[in-house]
Amino acid sequence: LSAYRDQHFKGSRAEQERLLRTSTTLYVGNLSFYTTEEQIFELFDRCGDVKRVIMGLDRFQKTPCGFCFVEYYDRADAENAMCWVNGTKLDDRIIRTDWDAGFIEGRQ
Amino acid sequence: MSRRRAYEDDDEDDLRYRKRRRMVSEPQEIEDKLETLIVRVGEKSTSSLESNLEQLSGVLVSDLSNFKSNVLKILIDCAQKMPEKTTIYSTLVGLLNAKNYSFGGEFVEVLSKSLKDSLKNQEWDTARYCVRFLADLVNCKVININSILNLLENFVAVTSEESIPQVRGDWYVFTVLSSLPFVGRELHEKKDQELDRLLRQIDSYIGRRRKTHLPALQAWSSDTPHLQEEYLDCLWSQICKLRSDKWTENHLARPYLAFDGALSEALQHNLPVITPPPHSTEFVYPSPWVVFRLFDYTDCPDGPSLPGAHSIERFLIEEHLHRIIRLHHRERKQCAAALLSFHGKSKVPFEYMITEVIFGELFLLPNSPHLDICYGSLLLELCKLQPSTMPLVLAQTVELLYERLDTMHTNCIDRFCSWFAYHLSNFQFRWTWEDWLDAASFDHLHPKPMFLQGALAKCMRLSYHQRLMEIIPQDLQQFVPNPPLPKIKYGENAPDDTPGLAISKKLTEAIKSRCTDEEAMEIIQELGKTSPGDEAMDTGANFDLLKVDVFVHTLMAIACKTMSHSFAGIAKFHFVFKKLSQGSDEKQLQILFSVYEIWKDHHQMMQGIIDKFLKTQIVEASTVANWVFSKELKGDFHKPYLWEILHLTIRIKIKQVKKLQSDLEAAKSRKEDDDEEPIPIEDLERMEEKLDAAQSELKNLFLIIFQRFIIQLTEHIAACEAEGTDFRTQWFRWTVGRLLEVLFRHHEHVFNYITTLQSLLFSSDVDPHILAVYEQFLALRN
Repeated sequence: LSAYRDQHFKGSRAEQERLLRTSTTLYVGNLSFYTTEEQIFELFDRCGDVKRVIMGLDRFQKTPCGFCFVEYYDRADAENAMCWVNGTKLDDRIIRTDWDAGFIEGRQ
Repeated sequence: MSRRRAYEDDDEDDLRYRKRRRMVSEPQEIEDKLETLIVRVGEKSTSSLESNLEQLSGVLVSDLSNFKSNVLKILIDCAQKMPEKTTIYSTLVGLLNAKNYSFGGEFVEVLSKSLKDSLKNQEWDTARYCVRFLADLVNCKVININSILNLLENFVAVTSEESIPQVRGDWYVFTVLSSLPFVGRELHEKKDQELDRLLRQIDSYIGRRRKTHLPALQAWSSDTPHLQEEYLDCLWSQICKLRSDKWTENHLARPYLAFDGALSEALQHNLPVITPPPHSTEFVYPSPWVVFRLFDYTDCPDGPSLPGAHSIERFLIEEHLHRIIRLHHRERKQCAAALLSFHGKSKVPFEYMITEVIFGELFLLPNSPHLDICYGSLLLELCKLQPSTMPLVLAQTVELLYERLDTMHTNCIDRFCSWFAYHLSNFQFRWTWEDWLDAASFDHLHPKPMFLQGALAKCMRLSYHQRLMEIIPQDLQQFVPNPPLPKIKYGENAPDDTPGLAISKKLTEAIKSRCTDEEAMEIIQELGKTSPGDEAMDTGANFDLLKVDVFVHTLMAIACKTMSHSFAGIAKFHFVFKKLSQGSDEKQLQILFSVYEIWKDHHQMMQGIIDKFLKTQIVEASTVANWVFSKELKGDFHKPYLWEILHLTIRIKIKQVKKLQSDLEAAKSRKEDDDEEPIPIEDLERMEEKLDAAQSELKNLFLIIFQRFIIQLTEHIAACEAEGTDFRTQWFRWTVGRLLEVLFRHHEHVFNYITTLQSLLFSSDVDPHILAVYEQFLALRN
């Protein structure tokens, strides 16, 4: 686990830690604004079966703003992505992945 | 070096250890400390390995009175799990034995016991490392040379057992051969006659082995420029060469040589008799493999020369590199650093050897040990750490691979495409594409154009169409896939007399104004209800199929913006899909044809949609299989995406079976547990029924796939014979490759159906060329 924590998490610190340890969802940061969902599927699918990709959207303009969530079916596949995708490039940008306690509607 | 000097030069850890020992006496802490000390010996240190070993053995001897069982356990662990440090630990055990004879005896006893256990438990690697360790203990004067000779003789004797699978004999011989670089010289000097006899036995075994599996496992079918050799043949040649070199090799560090004086006075132990456990039908032995050969010394003209294919150094260094990857594959930075800082005694061109080993794993058949992306990101890391050499070696590798595509195994071509696209996506897709203009002059099923097409399709998925068009030279643009746009059938440009057009328009309106699934269903049902004499009726169109087509096209066109939109559309109208296609293969097949029609140019979308259809049980796995082999998809039959879809379908089905299996087991174990509410017996029965059904569906899926392969291949051979042409065309090559791929990728499951397959499908009346493929597959376990 890294130091990154969702600041808006509702619940105790311990609860958050527990969720992070069992989570199958990754936060993906430092994406280009032009990177599409399909590109993200393509890259992350190499680590396992991706359930869904949720693009982070700008609050007002509803355009992509450089991050997304990738949810896998299995924890092991998400761990693979932490090993092999984190710190490599997509659309010429070095992307960063981190555990996420699970996507809740509205967070993008 | 005097003892005192070594003491002062000691590295930090040992100092801390001594300080702490004075301060704390917590046994747990000392135990932990002992473990770190033992595990870390041989790592980078300011003092020499010999002095560290000397010291460590001193510390351990003094702790033996209180911590003997701990020390024993840790050392046994190291012997079994760190084969890359075999000679270091054997020296340590040698030094301990010289100082404490009874400890040496116990060590040998425990290690022999764990060798026996690992043989029984089919832990083949562990067993092999134990044997090698025991062999090296001969050099350290811990084990009597006759004992090891007995052990090796017992192992080789397995080859004369009757009616055993060849893989059993192979493993025992492989184990003996791979311990000879360690103990060969000693045997040669002291027991030459016995060694000769042993080698003669092995020689005759090597000569009579069947090699049915060989063509299916070779990355290249051609012997030029490099022979892709069967692993045991290759090791045998390497051992023969080692023998002719008087058993001297240049790679292994042998720290015990420095302790000749201390060790020569030690007393030796006898091994208990270790006989291989008899074969049982449940035993699964390691499958044979083929040694991947990409380079020879002419490929690396600068720097130290590459050991020849049959030199034992090549074997030892490769084994070591594989080992590093296996240990660190989940930590790519560490792994890259460990690979680059690895040095044996001999100087070799490490960048080349590392590259060859990595591609050997990436292209390993039947399956690669790790995910493709694991190797991809490891290679990126190596480029980062060694920017002056690694990128050049990799570029050279890609050139060689491209030049040798003609005879490359079709499965390897796919992996090559996929890795290459991934790699380029990390380097702005910069490549000297002009070098590959020759691809344009070949038939479209030739491996070179197929490779370019496959690689560019993957590149596009990681970037976008326009970008590739800017990079790729004009003459190669024909290999760039079409822009991934939907083909809208019922759109504004559709001719007015298109059947179902009016309904599609109505449905579009309804969906855009957020209608419910029932409302959508009603609109669809209006199709075909119009008065008799309607034009569509006259043409005799099948309204049920038309309904499916209109619905799928309309919905997918509205949701075409992203994959998420499409998935949401499928989720929202799941009811309609189910209702329209229920219980009919034909209607389900129509769903797939309609999706194919709209997303012909967006394979990734098609793949994602079919994945969702399977998971939400809108379409059955067997339908997807029939779709892949249908005449409508003939033009796409050799496009990689279609096979990705087929493998995805099989995977989903396998996962489903596994899930039901574990659910049932969990329910059963809960039943035995008194504390919790027992599960009603009817529920258990229902679960069992479900599992049975899923298992037979999976089996059925494989049977359909293999049957379709046999039909297609048989028809092809018959057609060629009628025309009097050679049937071994590129089409045949790819199709056989795809058949092997299905057998290989899911071999654990396919092996469950052997009897059915043999009696129903791959029987003796099938064409021998098709049967040969199946027999190559069977040879993996025979």
